[in-house]
Parts: sequence; structure tokens; C-alpha cells
Amino acid sequence: MGLKMVMEFGPIFRALLNNRTRFWLILIEVALTFAIVVNCTSIFLDKRQSFNSPTGMDIANILVITTEPFGDDFENEDYVEDVGASDLRRLRSHPAIINATPILHFPLSGSGSSTGRKAAGSELDAVSVGYFWVDENGIETLGVELIDGRNFTDADIEDQNDNDIPRNVIVTKAFAEQVFPDGNAVGSQITNRDGQTPATIIGVIDHMNNSWPTSTFGDHTMLRPGINHYSHEMNYLVRAEPLAIDSLYTELEELMVSLESDRVVTVRTLSEIKQGYFRRTLMAMKIWAVVIVLMIFITSLGIIGLTSFSVTQRTREIGTRRALGATRLAILRFFLLENWLITGIGLALGTLLTIALNFALAEYAEAPKIDPMLFAGGAVALWTAGQIAAFIPAMRATTVSPEIATRTV
Amino acid sequence: MFTYQLRLAFKSLRRNPVLSTLMVVAIGLGIAVSTASVTIYYIYSGNPIPDKSNVLFHVELDNWHPDRPFNRDHPERAPFQITYRDAMALMQSEIPAYQNAAFRTELMVFPDGGERRPYREVVRMCFADFFMMFDVPFQYGGGWTDTADQAPEPVIVIDSTTNQQLFGGINSVGRSIKIEDRYFTIIGVLAEWHPTPKHYDPTNNAFSEPEAMYMPLNFTPIFESTSRGNTWGWADESIDTYGDYLQSELLWIQMWVQLDDETQKQAYQDFLDAYVLEQKKRGRFDRPLNNRLLDVMTMLKELEVVPDTTKSQLVVSLLFLVVCAINLVGILLGKFLGRAPEIGVRRALGASRRSVFIQHLIECEVIGVFGGSLGLALSVMVLDAINRMLANGEQLHLDLNMVGAGLLLSLVAGLIAGIYPSWRICKVAPAVHLKMQ
Repeated sequence: MGLKMVMEFGPIFRALLNNRTRFWLILIEVALTFAIVVNCTSIFLDKRQSFNSPTGMDIANILVITTEPFGDDFENEDYVEDVGASDLRRLRSHPAIINATPILHFPLSGSGSSTGRKAAGSELDAVSVGYFWVDENGIETLGVELIDGRNFTDADIEDQNDNDIPRNVIVTKAFAEQVFPDGNAVGSQITNRDGQTPATIIGVIDHMNNSWPTSTFGDHTMLRPGINHYSHEMNYLVRAEPLAIDSLYTELEELMVSLESDRVVTVRTLSEIKQGYFRRTLMAMKIWAVVIVLMIFITSLGIIGLTSFSVTQRTREIGTRRALGATRLAILRFFLLENWLITGIGLALGTLLTIALNFALAEYAEAPKIDPMLFAGGAVALWTAGQIAAFIPAMRATTVSPEIATRTV
Repeated sequence: MFTYQLRLAFKSLRRNPVLSTLMVVAIGLGIAVSTASVTIYYIYSGNPIPDKSNVLFHVELDNWHPDRPFNRDHPERAPFQITYRDAMALMQSEIPAYQNAAFRTELMVFPDGGERRPYREVVRMCFADFFMMFDVPFQYGGGWTDTADQAPEPVIVIDSTTNQQLFGGINSVGRSIKIEDRYFTIIGVLAEWHPTPKHYDPTNNAFSEPEAMYMPLNFTPIFESTSRGNTWGWADESIDTYGDYLQSELLWIQMWVQLDDETQKQAYQDFLDAYVLEQKKRGRFDRPLNNRLLDVMTMLKELEVVPDTTKSQLVVSLLFLVVCAINLVGILLGKFLGRAPEIGVRRALGASRRSVFIQHLIECEVIGVFGGSLGLALSVMVLDAINRMLANGEQLHLDLNMVGAGLLLSLVAGLIAGIYPSWRICKVAPAVHLKMQ
């Protein structure tokens, strides 16, 4: 900014004080808009982050299959087991399928099982953890990364019904680190709150969300070995080869019914399940985005209106300045600089309002902490919007003819 | 005089259509956003059953873990559901006007005796009183009797969507339908019914649709049905058979009673306390005695069913309206003062300050009403879009109260925005402007 422009601040400021209504209106409008836009953006980004944060699984390529049997044959436990085994054989032998695992509830679905677990013998309170029953193909099907210990084996699956021996489980790193801060999770035992149902951690996976990714324990996940047919329902997770998911999606229902027709088969993608879980979040994001755009739009309209008004009111003054030698550029610069100054003061006031609104929302509803960069981003956005808005009436001001000054004196 | 001023207002608005449209759009957007979010808040925090919310009580017994409260932040609270065995025991009471123990499950439906593919449907297992105590509306037929509860008789109530799908919407009362392995007679078809929030089972998504089918809860052991809603447990108990499940300490039943006066309420409270004290002797309920009867609104408040986002949206959208109003002040000020010479002439010709003031205020209110109407139309579209996006069967729509609130908001916005500019213009000194002509 040139020295000449800085020197213009004085007269601009004095002119503003002579026109207090306009000054205050723009000031309050800019401040309120800034407070709302920054807070809304902060909430928007927070929601987007919760939707976009990695789940640890290869969700783009995972299909979920639910089967709900209705035939009388399913009263027989052996029959149920046979059907389950044949389903899995058929799925795993499919060329477009990397692997498949039986499962009861689905990750990211909002519906599942959770419990509390602590280090065996520990006096500390149990840590919440969501769990899934899977077999030795679970890890590959989910696409999660085993970073310590070992996977389940056939033997682990066989032992599932024996209540007397400690079962083997695999847990996520986040859960392992909370329960065993010293990092000796693999090989250690965990129990429930009351010190019962002991289990041995045999492996640690890097990251995997459970059924409730946005909950406080969304990355505390435990894999238990076994096949759990709840009400004889048999559900599967299937990991498709890259690009094969679309054709599998249409093919699998028929395939499953052809294996055993006395059941209702539903095929969905894990992404669909995730979309369902985040439906409200996604909708809220859209609403917040619309509010942000509308706010800036409305405020720009207001600035156009008020600057227009100012130009109209000062037509004679502009004419006089033009007659005294001011160039068109100087007139344009005057209005833009004036707008820049008011917006700046509005932003300063707006920063305080933003913090106040953030506290109020946090107290009464929801409001994440605001990233300082958002203040900078919001300021740039409003300054730019203000300059563009002021430019339109300011251009009109440059067309004021100098002779106006001579006409009415 | 009023019509004259109204005519002046329209004339003035027509003179600068672009500016007028701009003002109407600005205020309309403010009204649209705020009416939509006020409506959402109003529906989410609303009373789903205003006539009876004070006499319907949610029954809560504290049989959680001996060492831990159910809700750590509010140790004085009890779990929101009760066990099957306690529900069965409480249903023996003769004190309440109505009483209902219920839960949601899923059962296999075989339409047309097996011609169409069977499907799994969400079913509410409940008692005869359910329909009476919650004022459930029927399109055809009605609920079942206490006798049907006891037997239990194979009777079923279906909702209107199911009736449309299975019977083409005709009066299907008396027709039969195969559920799992037996035939049920349809005894009633529900009319449209969307209690919001879903008071009778708010922990399983308070804004979801009511179930598609309703049958006597005593079919639960026959079908070996398990809960397809929230199930809470704390005890380390081995559940190997279905009988174990029913006798377990798992909490999955929602229990409601209607108690018409204070005497009845006290009697029922005494009944609950006596029951729990009796159970304590048998080694259950190892927690301080805490049996709670919560009326509908108290329960919804404790459950905090209104999403936080809804609250922030309410605050932000009202601030948005304030910005829109400030905007209008600016535009009106410009417009009115631009007209100062004309007003100067009118003042000189004898128009009083008061009539100039009122004339301009009316112009502002005309803008407000136009903006309000536009805003209401927009908010109908916004709510419709939200309904579609949620695809949850939610029924967000404007009722008369909200239309009234929207119009009132727009009038207030017009008034607040109009006062200052109108006051400025009526203070115009006639002489100055006459001289300038």
C-alpha cells in the first residue's frame, strides 16, 4: 500500500464519522456475518472431518450380505452350519472375491455389540470396546492391517463354544494402548468389569472403526473368533477385487438364493452402510454450507446497497472533488479504501463476536474449537466480498461529472 | 387513508422493481432459513401427545449394576428400559387406567400365502392398552381386547403402508396373513400416525417411523422373538437357552402406564416400591430403591432427543434473520433518502410528518409481507428437501402455528428494519429540498 493511500485514511475516517448510520450498519453486518460464517465453517469442517476420517477398512471394495432364513430346515442347528459353510466356500471360490468372513453386525452401521474390558487384575475402570465375531479370514476381508502378534487360526474358531478356556481376541491399537499403555498388549489377558470372561490378546490391528465411528470409543474395536448365528441369520462381509464391486453387487443376491432359496438375501455396500450412519451429518453439512453462502451473499447485497446510498448522497461532493482535480481512479480508490477500512473494523469486532458465539453454542448446543486459520480465511473472504460489492457502486461514482459541482452552488 | 398509503407503497415499490425485488428476496431468504429451523426445532422438541402427556408415565426401575449407576453423569437416573420378567410382573397390576409393556422385533411375513417372496418386517409386540393409551388412530377396525392378550389370540394390527402393499389399500379387517409359521387375523389398520418424537420408544431413534405391525406381546415366547432395539445388560450371566434370555437381567422392554390422578400415581408408585422390595429379598435389585415415573415431556427432556445441530441451527438462523433485517435498513435508507426532494415537496404541500412516517413504514411492511410469503414458500421447499434427504419417514412440515410464526417474524423484521429509515425521511426539512429543485 502506497504512502498516498495511507494518507487518504484520515479524510476517509473523518467522512465516516460524519456518516455514522452507514458506518454502524456495515460494521454490525460485517461483524455478525463474520461471527456466523466462521462458526458455521468450523462446524461444517468438523462434520466433514468426521465423515472423511479413515475407517481402517477397505470400504470401497466391501459388500455386506444379510440372509434371513424362513424354512423349517433352519430349526436344525447342523443344517444352519452346513449352509453357512457352503455359502463361505462358494463366496471364497468366486474369482472376483478376495475373501469373505461370517459376521453378525456390520462396522459403521450404528448397530452392534459393545462391552467393557480391562487388563486382567487391574483396578482401573473397564474401557468401552465394540466387537465383531469373525473367522480367520476376517482380517483380510476387512482390509485391516495386523501390526503385532498373529491372526486367528482354525483352532481359535473351533474353541469358540468352550467357555472354560480363555478365548483369543484381536484388538485395535487405540484400544490396546489405552488398556496397556506400556505396549505389552500381545499375550496379555483382559477381562470384563467384574474380572470375568478372560481373553488373551493375540494380535493388534492398526486402525478399525466399530459400529459407532463417531462415538468416543469409535476406534476401540475387538475381533472375536467365531461364527454367531443370531436367530439363524447368517451375514457375511465380502471383499471384492478392485473394480469388481459393481458386478458383484448385482450378482450376489441371486448366487446366495441359488445356494439355498428359503431365505431373504440383501446385498449392500459398506459405503452405503456408512452413508446411512452419517445421513444426519451429511444433511447438516449441506445446511451449514447453504447458510454460509447465503450469509456472504446477503452481506454483499447490503454493502452494495449502503455504498450506493453513500454515492448518491455524496454526488455533489464527488463532483467537487473531480472539479478540483481528483482523477476517476482516485474516486474509485476512495470508496474501495473506505469499504476496506469499515470491513476491517467490522472484522475486529467480529472476532470478539465469533468467540462469544462459539462459547454460547458450545454451552447450549455443539461447537468445536475454532481453528485460528479460520479467522484468517473468514477475514480474507469477507474483505474480498466487500471489495467486490463496493466496486459496483464505486464505478458509478467515477462517472459523476465535475460540472455537478458548479451547477447547484 | 390506509388504502391510499398502501397504494403509495405499491407505487413506490413499482418505481424501482430491481431494488424492490432485491429487498423482498433478502428478507425472504432470512425468513426461509429461520422458519425452517424454527420448525425443525419446534417439531423435534415438541409434545407428541399434548392431551395426555401429563398422565402417561414411563416406568423405570433401577436394577443396574450394584456398584455403578446406569448413567454416570446422572447417577439419580435409572435405565430407560426394564427386563422382560419385571415387565410381566408389573403387567399384573390393576392400578393404572392403562398399562403397556412393549418392544420391537422383526418377524418373517409371507404375503399371499407364499406367492410373493417373504420378507422380514419390524413388528411391535405390545398389549391391548397400547392403542388406547397412545390415542393411536385407526383407518379400519381397531385394537384387540384384553382377552386376546391373555390367550394370546392370533390378531394383528397393520399400518396403512403395509395395507396398501399387501391388500391394495382396501378394508382388510378380517383377512388373514401368515407371520412366521402361523396365520394372524387382521383386526385393525392404522390411519396415518407419526408421533414426533416417537414417545413410546425414544431410545430406538426418536424420529423414526412407528412399526409396520403390532401383535400381542404374549407371542414373544411362542416365536422366541428377541429385541431388535437397544438391549442393555450389566450382569455376567450365561444365556444358553431362550428361557435364559427371558429370565435374564437384560433390559429391552419399554413400560408405560396411564395414571389419571395423583392418588392413582401414588398407589402405583407404592406398588412399584413394594415389588422391588420383594425382589430385593430374592437377591435382585442390589441398588438403592429408585423407581421412577416420568411423564412424557420429562422423559424426552432427560433423553435429550433434540439433536445439538438442530439447536445451533436455530441460533444461527435467527442471527441470519437479524443480518437480513440490518441489510434491509441499509437499502431502505438509501431508497428513502434518495426520495428526499419529493418528500420535501409533499411536506411543503402540507403532508404531516406522521403521515410521511406511516406511509414509509407501510411500504416496509409490504416488503416484509412479500418477503415473508416468499420465505414461507422457500421453507416448505427446504423442509421437503430435508424430508427426502433423511428418507427416514420423518414428517417435517409447516403447520398453521409455524406459518403464523413465519408471517409474524416477517412483520417484525419489516417493522424493525423500517422504523429508522422512515423516521429519517419524515424529518426531512421541506425548505432545503425546495431550494434545490
